[in-house]
Amino acid sequence: MKQPPDITLPARTDSTSHGRKGLFRSWLKIQVESERYQPPHKGLIILQIFIGILFFVLVTRLWYLQIQRGEDFARLSQENRLRQERVFAPRGRIMDRADKIMADNRTAYGLSLVREDCRDIPATLTQISVWSGIPVSQIWEKYQQDRFKVKSFEPILMLPDISFELLARIESEIFAWPGLEIVVRTKRNYPEKDIFAHVLGYVAEVNEKEMEEDSALATGDFVGKAGLELELERHLRGQKGLFDVEVDAHGRALGKILKKEPRSGHEIRLSLDLSLQRAAWEALGGEAGCVVVMEPDSGKLRALVTSPAYDNNLFAAGISRRDWEALRTSNRFPLQNRVIQSVYPPGSVWKLVMAAMFLEHGISPRETVFCPGQVKLGDQIFRCWKQGGHGNVNMEGALVVSCDVYFYLMAEKIGIDKMEAYAKACGFGRATGIGLPHERTGLVPSRAWKRRRFGQPWVRGETYNISIGQGYTLVTPVQMAVYVSALLNGGDMLKPQLMEDDARFVTGRLPAADRTRNFIVNAMRLAASGGTARVVSRRDADMGGKTGTAQVVKLKMAAGDRRLRTAEMEYAQRDHAWIATWGAKNGKRYVVVVMVEHGGGGSRVAGPVAGKIYDHLFGPETALTVKATR
Amino acid sequence: MDTRLFSHINWGLLALTLLLYLAGVANLYSASGTRLDSGMTFSGFYQRQLVWGVFGLCGMTAAMSFDYRRLRNLAWLFFLLSLMLLLLVPVVGKTIYGAKRWLSLGFMSIQPSEIVKLAVLLIAARILSREANPLGWKNFLSLVAVVILPCAIVILQPDLGTSLMILLILAGMILFHGLRGYVFKTCLFLAPCAAALMWFAGMHDYQRQRILTFLNPGNDPRGTGYHTLQSRIAIGSGQLWGKGFTEGTQSQLRFLPERHSDFAVAVFGEEWGFVGCLMLITLFCLFLLAIFSTASQAKDRFGSLLVVGVFFYFFWQIFINIAMVIGLIPVVGIPLPFISYGGSATVLNFTLIGIVLNVAMRRFMFKG
Repeated sequence: MKQPPDITLPARTDSTSHGRKGLFRSWLKIQVESERYQPPHKGLIILQIFIGILFFVLVTRLWYLQIQRGEDFARLSQENRLRQERVFAPRGRIMDRADKIMADNRTAYGLSLVREDCRDIPATLTQISVWSGIPVSQIWEKYQQDRFKVKSFEPILMLPDISFELLARIESEIFAWPGLEIVVRTKRNYPEKDIFAHVLGYVAEVNEKEMEEDSALATGDFVGKAGLELELERHLRGQKGLFDVEVDAHGRALGKILKKEPRSGHEIRLSLDLSLQRAAWEALGGEAGCVVVMEPDSGKLRALVTSPAYDNNLFAAGISRRDWEALRTSNRFPLQNRVIQSVYPPGSVWKLVMAAMFLEHGISPRETVFCPGQVKLGDQIFRCWKQGGHGNVNMEGALVVSCDVYFYLMAEKIGIDKMEAYAKACGFGRATGIGLPHERTGLVPSRAWKRRRFGQPWVRGETYNISIGQGYTLVTPVQMAVYVSALLNGGDMLKPQLMEDDARFVTGRLPAADRTRNFIVNAMRLAASGGTARVVSRRDADMGGKTGTAQVVKLKMAAGDRRLRTAEMEYAQRDHAWIATWGAKNGKRYVVVVMVEHGGGGSRVAGPVAGKIYDHLFGPETALTVKATR
Repeated sequence: MDTRLFSHINWGLLALTLLLYLAGVANLYSASGTRLDSGMTFSGFYQRQLVWGVFGLCGMTAAMSFDYRRLRNLAWLFFLLSLMLLLLVPVVGKTIYGAKRWLSLGFMSIQPSEIVKLAVLLIAARILSREANPLGWKNFLSLVAVVILPCAIVILQPDLGTSLMILLILAGMILFHGLRGYVFKTCLFLAPCAAALMWFAGMHDYQRQRILTFLNPGNDPRGTGYHTLQSRIAIGSGQLWGKGFTEGTQSQLRFLPERHSDFAVAVFGEEWGFVGCLMLITLFCLFLLAIFSTASQAKDRFGSLLVVGVFFYFFWQIFINIAMVIGLIPVVGIPLPFISYGGSATVLNFTLIGIVLNVAMRRFMFKG
């Protein structure tokens, strides 16, 4: 076949013969008038077959659906008219040990939007912005985020918490905005705000990932995101109830049938003491730091304070982006629960662990070391904190005055491998199991660890550093509290308990004989009565303590330089101040560990905080002198 | 315009087109209705569809106003332009539903993959019109080579539906033109292999999920199977005579998703029943026959191929959309011409009918 001519010839026919006739021909007939080009015959048949198939297949299927099974589907469409509605269960309350409320629920009014009822979504969103004062762009973003999560007839929660004044205004204007409705919800409320923020955590609107993992959750639910609210989510949550709502053909609700009763969540009673917690918070005085108060015999925590903190009510109300950014980017890290999520070098407090180890490895407490103020190792100089040196010191003396040189030389005898094993056996380097999310383990360094981490072998100088709690060693304040508790309670390493009604739980035995523990406890007593920890001494109670000043950065000091005073250093380079203490009065015993970030000297900064806490625990100091309980 | 041209307009096709379009608007009116406590409210979809129809008629008139053979000269240019637009999408396009398919013009968004459909139709008509005999390997492969690039880009967007449409339109045109037996047999053999490759390499999880759900929709009635199940309930409950105009409960009580767009025909089926559906499908078949008659009367190969391309453009959409709504095939995002709401789709549909009318009008201009 040849190419068809591709030229346009003027139509040479008269218009009458192609008038109405052409119309009918083009519609009714398949008529080929050209001499040259013929559409492929097979192709034309194929097109007709296609049309035939389309007609036949679709009509057959429609016959099946509408005639054959029509009645079934009619019944299903009737059943379709039943809608299910969820009833929220109240979340369990959280109380302190004296049943004071720390988290409860209050009624909150929210504004939600039903997409399909809304005639003009942009205008409606703009109106929401006018009411709430939130920028339109944020309202849009929220809407865009949620619109595909719910069906078009389900509500999207646009404003989670409306104030009463605003509620009144919206109620008077809402009739003009179809698709908007005011919903009553319960909202989590934390009366103590910052003081318990890290322990309690907070609830916030559920995200997609959480919904995927937990089929009981749906858009608009609030779930625990941090702290106990997260850890005990399932315990606190309760079970939603279910209504079958009958809607007639006109969409009118005819009646509700309760299918499932809502079950409220469990209440929780904490071991924490609200007034003690508040006292500890005030004692910290806004410094970045934390406090652990633990009963050494039961393992119950009585205070668990970390500062700075944040107002956890902000999250329950739906935190604004500005507030969130401010929290997230603050250089004081208010979101960090320092008690369990921050790891610090322990400084001299670590000597409590090292001394116990020396005793367990056969070093006599009477053995003395001469401290000239520094020791040389190769061309490195390791200084004692006291420039002139301590002279001859035995173990007790070394603990009381916190002599560094004693620990350098004794550690050298024992070696890093045994030090590592002992520290791990004392519970360092692993989580205490406190039952709060994201607890960190800290670090007990070893030869193997250093090879893995830096690809280098261990050097002797590092053993020196480890012995006084510097170098790579990192601990959490709560680990330290557990260790000191074990010294006092007969050697049981306890799980720190946040629940008042949970039983004492022993996680392991301290690898220290009675003699060893008594020796350390007594050394702490001496340090408190006349040594570095005398800041906590009181005449009406049996007290013990050990301070620590943990260097944050290695300061290069040339011979003859004096150490800088804290006030002269950059904040981020200042030392961390530690104090680990115990106190006993009238048969009540407590362990108090205080840590102040970049606070400077342990006795000077952390000590007074601990002192104030004991004032709260034991009352103001009286002149009465009590006999030592041990 | 030459009055003789005017007299050759395929009035039947025009009438059928308008009839379908008006049925679509009426159906949209009902689909926009929502029953509340106090009565019915209607959202503005049907009004907007009316406005789009006016634009569509303008597009149709424009498409009739020149000699369609000029399109042949423009085919390559148009093809390259649309390819460029397509390549622009990953750079400046905007993402909706997790797929980057749209170019924003400020006042509206366009989907270059729609334009590519048209461009492939034109270029295929042009390439096929060079060859009078059934296609051998050489011509077949050159055609595939031209089309493979836009198809691949569209798949990557990801928009499996559109690239499938492009291939189906092309396949229809090739079938019409004819191809050698051995080529045909090889293709038949390779098709399942390509399908398998697509399943494992070319599809996203949600697409695989749709197919699996389709095979067993009762499995997950509240999730992915929801669309299919609700649309089958809607259509089936229409029974013989339907529930009556604006009386469909599935749609008015909002059980039916996407009832303005892809599932619009389910509203029709619910309200007009089997009788109405039979009439609608008959209308569509007559509409296709009217296009077919133009193809069979065209006086040059390019013209008839062009019309066949348009034929398949509509044929596949009608077939796939209705088959999807009545649960014969998995859910794919393909609207029903003239019945589903859609601005650019309406304009494009009318414009394509304009091209068919154009070919019909000028069929007497060849006198050799």
